[in-house]
Amino acid sequence: MNDPITPPLIAAPVPSAGPIRTAPSLPLGEGPDERAPIPSVIAAIESILRQPRRVLFQLRQPGAGRLIAAMLLVSVVCSLTYGFVVGTFSNGVQLWAAPLRIALGLLISALVCLPSLYIFSCLGGSQARLIEVVGLVAGLLLLMTVLLIGFAPVAWVFSQSTGSVAAMGALHLAFWFISTCFGIRFLNAGFAHHSHSGDGLKVWIAIFLLVMLQMSTALRPIVGTADTLLPEGKKFFITHWVDSVKGK
Amino acid sequence: MTGTNAVNAAAADFQVREIPVLLGGDPVALKDWAASWQTRRVLGYVVVIFAGAGMYGAAMGYWRSPVQAGYNLVKFPLIVLATTLGNALLNGMLAPLLGLDLRFRQSLMLVVMSFTIAAAILGSFAPIVFFIVWNIPPLANGMQVPSPTYSFVLLLQVVLVAFAGVAANVRLQRLLGALSGSDRIARKVLFSWLAGNLFLGSQLCWIFRPLIGSPGLPVEFVRPNAFQGNFYEAVFRAIGQLFSS
Repeated sequence: MNDPITPPLIAAPVPSAGPIRTAPSLPLGEGPDERAPIPSVIAAIESILRQPRRVLFQLRQPGAGRLIAAMLLVSVVCSLTYGFVVGTFSNGVQLWAAPLRIALGLLISALVCLPSLYIFSCLGGSQARLIEVVGLVAGLLLLMTVLLIGFAPVAWVFSQSTGSVAAMGALHLAFWFISTCFGIRFLNAGFAHHSHSGDGLKVWIAIFLLVMLQMSTALRPIVGTADTLLPEGKKFFITHWVDSVKGK
Repeated sequence: MTGTNAVNAAAADFQVREIPVLLGGDPVALKDWAASWQTRRVLGYVVVIFAGAGMYGAAMGYWRSPVQAGYNLVKFPLIVLATTLGNALLNGMLAPLLGLDLRFRQSLMLVVMSFTIAAAILGSFAPIVFFIVWNIPPLANGMQVPSPTYSFVLLLQVVLVAFAGVAANVRLQRLLGALSGSDRIARKVLFSWLAGNLFLGSQLCWIFRPLIGSPGLPVEFVRPNAFQGNFYEAVFRAIGQLFSS
């Protein structure tokens, strides 16, 4: 018989364990869970998925640099792993080139957009320090790449079953987009605790997406093969997509 | 002590009498089962999936040949399990991100439970499907199957699989609702899991073709070109041909 005193095996949802919320319902650090330090990379992955508020709180504490470094390290490892799966479509050189391209592309995109994010956050009245902004971007990258690892088995099945570069490109783009949406939710949640004005952030998100899309073209081919390791000539990403669909 | 709670008391082992409770979808009973990972119980679910989905697949394959039936006995459960495992990591990540704080094993357990319900329902349909394909001209070499008959059998498969899928997912949604305390979160988690499972499951069905088989092609476990092309390209091609004709 069910014992009414026995606590439920799955706890009722609590704010710290809930989804990423853009509106700050409670100040960060209100719950004891949120104050718990994040001692390892595994804990960082767990926290970004289940307790994003814990990550946000820890990013405001002294010594957040270690957490940021850990998040960036995991992001690089995850993007290299997903890149390897992308590379299995073409094999050969792409087995190491695609992981490098994806990891480098993500890091360079983040670096290129970081100054503008800081400026936009200041323009929006945010009190966030630069290291917090770096931490939020690291969190975005971590969540995005961890989710890409979740998509990796599906991506592998499809990469073994099709010869169409356009179809595989579209699939990876869809996975990237879904993962990025979750990453951006984390970023939004972080800035929601600093400022109520989100217009600048929306502009920055649009810029960041465009930069990443253009980066995928600048470092092409990520899917498929080419005669040279680096692209010859410059292309806008939409032109590149149209060319890929036409099989050029 | 109610029947449900009697089953709860024997939590450590999977028992056949758990299946009716599972099919009933009572969130109070199933919540505890989903909360803890018990290897014996999971193995019990895997056995139900192998038996239910396997028997249904075999009945369907028997239309083409007894050998195809034998192949389907293995292939159908493999597709279900490969879909579950292939999406396990993703499903485990999506649940907390969408507001339901489940551990990885709990989300896997929930998906396995819902597939077990679907497999049990499909298994119960296996004698009906077998009876129907026994009574119609076989899909063997050189045999002509009237078009209405062929369409009826295909439609029947769609209806039965859809019924099993809907019944399983309604129960899963109720359980997710009980765990999250919110219908909205339950719907979001269910939708994301369903989308992922349908996406991968369709492709795995394509790789493991033939499931019924064509009279003009040999009976095989998988086609030699199993990894050539994909389900969605075939659908797009078919749509293209439809509009170009």
